[in-house]
Amino acid sequence: MEMNKGTRIGRRALLAGAAVALAAMPAAAQEPPKPRQIVINASGGAQAASLRKSYWADFEKQTGIKVVDTSPVDFGKLRAMVESGNIAWNITEIGGQDGYRVTQMGLAEKIDDSIVDRSKFVPAAKAMTHVFSPSSYSTVIAYRTDAFPKGGPKNWADFWDVKKFPGPRSLRNHPVDNLEAALMADGVAKDKLYPLDVDRAFKKLDEIYPHISVWWTTGQQPAQMLIDKEVVLATGWNGRFYGLILDKAPLAIEWEGGILKSGSWIVPKGAKDQYWSFKLLAMMADPERQAINAMRLGYSGTNTLSEQYVTADKKPYLPLEPTNLSKQIWLDQEWWTKNGQAMAERWNKWMLGKQ
Amino acid sequence: MTAGTASAGRSLRVAATERRAAFGAFLLTAPGLVFLGLLFAMPLIQLFALSVEGGTTEWYAKVFADGLYTTIFIRTFEIALFVTVTALLIGYPVAFFLATTTPTWRAIGFALVMLPFWTSVLVRTYAWMIILGRNGIVNRFLIDYGFIERPMTLLNTRFAVVLGMVHVMLPFMILPLYSAIVRVDPDLARAARGMGASRFQIFRRIYLPLTLHGIVAGVTLVFVVSLGFYITPALLGGGKVTMIAMVIEQQVREFLAWNFAGALSVVLLAITLVVFWLLNHWVARRVPPATGQGR
Repeated sequence: MEMNKGTRIGRRALLAGAAVALAAMPAAAQEPPKPRQIVINASGGAQAASLRKSYWADFEKQTGIKVVDTSPVDFGKLRAMVESGNIAWNITEIGGQDGYRVTQMGLAEKIDDSIVDRSKFVPAAKAMTHVFSPSSYSTVIAYRTDAFPKGGPKNWADFWDVKKFPGPRSLRNHPVDNLEAALMADGVAKDKLYPLDVDRAFKKLDEIYPHISVWWTTGQQPAQMLIDKEVVLATGWNGRFYGLILDKAPLAIEWEGGILKSGSWIVPKGAKDQYWSFKLLAMMADPERQAINAMRLGYSGTNTLSEQYVTADKKPYLPLEPTNLSKQIWLDQEWWTKNGQAMAERWNKWMLGKQ
Repeated sequence: MTAGTASAGRSLRVAATERRAAFGAFLLTAPGLVFLGLLFAMPLIQLFALSVEGGTTEWYAKVFADGLYTTIFIRTFEIALFVTVTALLIGYPVAFFLATTTPTWRAIGFALVMLPFWTSVLVRTYAWMIILGRNGIVNRFLIDYGFIERPMTLLNTRFAVVLGMVHVMLPFMILPLYSAIVRVDPDLARAARGMGASRFQIFRRIYLPLTLHGIVAGVTLVFVVSLGFYITPALLGGGKVTMIAMVIEQQVREFLAWNFAGALSVVLLAITLVVFWLLNHWVARRVPPATGQGR
C-alpha cells in the first residue's frame, strides 16, 4: 500500500517535472542517452595530439564520453561506410578540397546550427551547410633561409625564377594548388584565377619541371626535405613548417599567393549519436579553444573572435591573420569538384610525358 | 583362392585407408581454402563485378582508350623486368655461394639475406632515402673525398626505385635458386672439370639446365610481386616514377572511381596470369620434369 502510493506520486511528479522541463528548457530534457564513446577519424600525428589537448580532453571530462581517435583521412572509406550503412566514425575529417563534393554526394549530415554556434565564423566557414570548419590552412612557399641570404622568394614568379633563386625545388604531386600557383607565376591576377586556364597553367609548369627534384605526396615530406637539404624551395601546408620555424629551424614561409583551404569535418550521413557529435563540434567552435589549438598547430581558428586570444608572437605565422589573409586566395572547391578527375588524368599524362 | 581373397581384402582396406588419408588431408587444407575463399576470391569476384557494373564495358574501353593507362602498364612492366633481371644477376652468384660453401659461411650468408627480409619494407625504403639523398651517405662520401664537387642526383630517380625494389625482392630470388642449386650433385661438376670443361661450360651445361626450375620460380615470384609495388616507387621515385598500383590507389581513394579501378585491377591480374602461364609453359616444354634431380 505504502509503496504503491509512493510510486504513483513519484510518477505524477515526474510527469509534471517533465512538462515543466519541456516548456522551459527543451534541450536539456530531450538530451539523448550518452554513448560510451565517440569515434573521430582525423589526420592523426601531432594534429590529433593537439586536438585532444585543446578540445577532446575537456569533452571527455564534461560528458564522461570517451573520445577515440583514428586515422588517416580516407574519402573512399567514408563513401564505403555510408553506402554500406556500417558507419564506424561519429565524426571524420575530410580533405580541404572535398567539402563541396561530400555535400553533393550526400555523404554528410547537415550541421545542426542550434547546437553548433557558427554565427561568428569567417564567411567561407559559415557558408558550408554540411561541413564544419574549425580551422584554416594554406599551401604556401617555404624555403631555407640559408640558401637565400639576400632574402627569399616573395611570390610564385620568384618560385619559378631559377636564376634569381637557384636550387632544387619540390611541388606536390597533384594538380590542386599547382595549377593556381603556375597561373599566378604567369601573371594572372589573384581575383581572375577561376575558372582556371588549364592549358596556360600546364605550359607554365613545363618551365619548372626540370627544376623539381621531388613531387611530394605526403604532408610531412616538404618540411623533412627542407631540413635534410634535399631541396631549398618547396610548397607545403603552413602548419607543417610552423613548429619548425618557432623552434628556430632555418626555414621561412611566404604568404603571398598562399592557397587557403578549410580544415573540414563532417558527421557521416546516418552516423550514430549525432547529438553528442554536434556537442563535440560545438566545443571545437569555441573561440578561446580555437586560439589555443591554432597556437599549437599553426592553423588559424575560423571563429573571428578567436584572433584576440592569440599571442602576438604567433600571429605572423597564422593564415587568417588579417595581413596574411589579404595576400592569399581561397581554393575554389566547386571548380575542383567538377574538374578534379579530368585534371588528375591530365596531370598523370603530363607527368608520364616527362619521364 | 584363399590367398587371392585375402590380398583383395587387403587392397580394399588399403584403398579405404588412402581415401581416409585423402579426406584428412582435405580437412587440413579446409581452413586455408576458407581463408582464401572469403578474403581473396570473394573480393576478387566483387572487384570484377564492379568493373562491369551495369553491363557496360566502358571502363575497359577507358583503360585502353588513350595512351595514358597503357603507357603506365608498359612502364610498370619495364620496371618489373629491370628489377627481375637485376635480382637474378645478383641473386644467382649469392645462391651459388650459399649452396656450395661451408656450413659456417652458409649460416652467415643466410643471416645476411634473411635479416633485411624480416625488416619492414618501409624502413628499408627510408634507409635508401638516407643513403641516396643529396645530403646522403653516398654523396657526402664522394664530396668529402673530392671525387665530385656537387651532389649527384641519385634519389628520386628510376634508378633509385629499381635499386630499392631489387633490395626488397632479392630474398625471393635467392631462396628458390638456392634450393635448386643445392640439389645439383657436385660430382657432376667435378666430373666435367675432370674431362676438361671450362667454368663457363660447367655453368651453361650443368648448372643452368638443372637449376632452370629454380630460376623460373624466382623470376616468376619477383616479376609478379614487382608488378604490384606501391610504397617503394612512391617514396624513392620522387613522384617521377608512376606504377600501375599507384594509379589504382589514386582512383580508389581520391576519385572514388571504383568501377574504373576495378577494370584496371582486372587487366593487371589478367596480364599477370598470362605472364605466369607463359613462363611455366615455356619451362615445362624446355625441361621435362624427369631431368630434374631426384624427383
